[in-house]
Amino acid sequence: MDQMISKVSKFAPTNEFLLQGSIMENAHDVLLHRLRGLCDNSDSPFETFTDNEMIFSMKNTTITQALNLRVRHSLIEQDSWQVRYAGMAEMGDKNRPTMVRHVIDCSTSDNIVLFLNELGFRMDHEFVIKGFYFHKGRMKVTVSKIYKMNQPGNTENLEPFSTSSLVELSVVTQQSGGEGIAEDMKSFSEQLKPLVQLEKVDHRRLQNI
Amino acid sequence: MQKEEKQLELALDALIQRVQDLKNSLVAFLSKLENEYQTMSWPSVLDNFALLSGQLNSLGKLLKSEKVPILRNQILLPLALSPDRDQELEKLTERRVFAFNHEVVPDYLRTKPEPDVEKKIQESSVRATINTPDVAQKQLNAMNKVTSNILDIINSHRDDMESDANQKSSLAQTSSMSDTNALIAVTMFGKGLKSLRRDSSQSQPIIQQQTQQPKTQVSTGKAPSAVKTNIKAAAAVTVNKQEFAGTFTSDFEPGTISSHDNILTLNKESSPAAMSDTLNKANN
Repeated sequence: MDQMISKVSKFAPTNEFLLQGSIMENAHDVLLHRLRGLCDNSDSPFETFTDNEMIFSMKNTTITQALNLRVRHSLIEQDSWQVRYAGMAEMGDKNRPTMVRHVIDCSTSDNIVLFLNELGFRMDHEFVIKGFYFHKGRMKVTVSKIYKMNQPGNTENLEPFSTSSLVELSVVTQQSGGEGIAEDMKSFSEQLKPLVQLEKVDHRRLQNI
Repeated sequence: MQKEEKQLELALDALIQRVQDLKNSLVAFLSKLENEYQTMSWPSVLDNFALLSGQLNSLGKLLKSEKVPILRNQILLPLALSPDRDQELEKLTERRVFAFNHEVVPDYLRTKPEPDVEKKIQESSVRATINTPDVAQKQLNAMNKVTSNILDIINSHRDDMESDANQKSSLAQTSSMSDTNALIAVTMFGKGLKSLRRDSSQSQPIIQQQTQQPKTQVSTGKAPSAVKTNIKAAAAVTVNKQEFAGTFTSDFEPGTISSHDNILTLNKESSPAAMSDTLNKANN
């Protein structure tokens, strides 16, 4: 996978800087308004999204760690499909303000599910994610709720996973030249305190819980 | 007599000494204030005040002590006033008083306040005695009322501020670390979703079997394909038709009757030609 990333990174940005946090229901609207004020296009209405995300994984005896691909398609614009590979986020040392992970994004057609199944991928789980997104320069901010799907494949019959919403601040950059952006993200996250604590979250630790 | 004079002299010496000390520390404090006002700290100012007040206290104690004769009983009497400069006096007073003349003597030898000050004091003491106890009590009550009102206002303000502070601390709870972790775990690894999926995938085949059972009454276990079961069912029905001719309705239990009825309505005119038609449709 790493070889592939180094190949892809020649022509596509593959480094994602990431900070994560959550907001409780009671302060959700306050956060939205603050983000609207802080981010670009503050005079336009909120931009929303509703996506269905399916995680396909391939387990192999030679690969101990399952290979996961995330297929996401919009439930609003039905033709919009994307597949994403996301590596394990690295915490780095204390001096590094954000997590960094390798990411490959690719727009696809709707037969990607069939294609992945043919390749030997199997769907591991899926959920629906609804929320708002903002951008400020290169930074992208999403405030989204995760919904469980009570029936597989049915995106109508949903149940919220948590009353809190997930808040993510991310930037995708080239392999090199992302030095300044992490500092920008840190200072942006400071402006959202104490409403949201956007932090580095150790995914490995969460996986093992 | 001799003894009294000596005592007075000693007391005066002591007084002069103390006053000298007081003057020195005053001078030192003043020069400090003038020269070091930029660097001086509040504690050192307080130290100087403490020194001065200590010296004043010891001066007062000295005056009250038994060793000092009652100075009030002594008479000081200017024998001669002169408008000329007096060098001796100048030296004694550190060039503050040049001559012992008519201008300065009333000030320096004064034992009572100035007449207009005295008048003012008298006026206010008269005014204080005019008030009857009733009036005084009334004024006291009014004063108490005002102060208690002010106290109430201050207290309510304090309460407001405290509750504000409390609200702020409760507002601080707008995000929770455990929710963050749960949300990330569900998006990254599907924690909390997989178990749900497993449950539903187990329950799914059971439902399918139940719905298929009435149709595939003859076929037991898992049906290889829908088309085949249709054929079997149809075949079974034709067999049943021949066997039971017109009497089949009475011999069956209600549940099975209804299921057979369904199939029968489907395949009532199931001649071999119609059968092959349905087969073809199914294959397509």
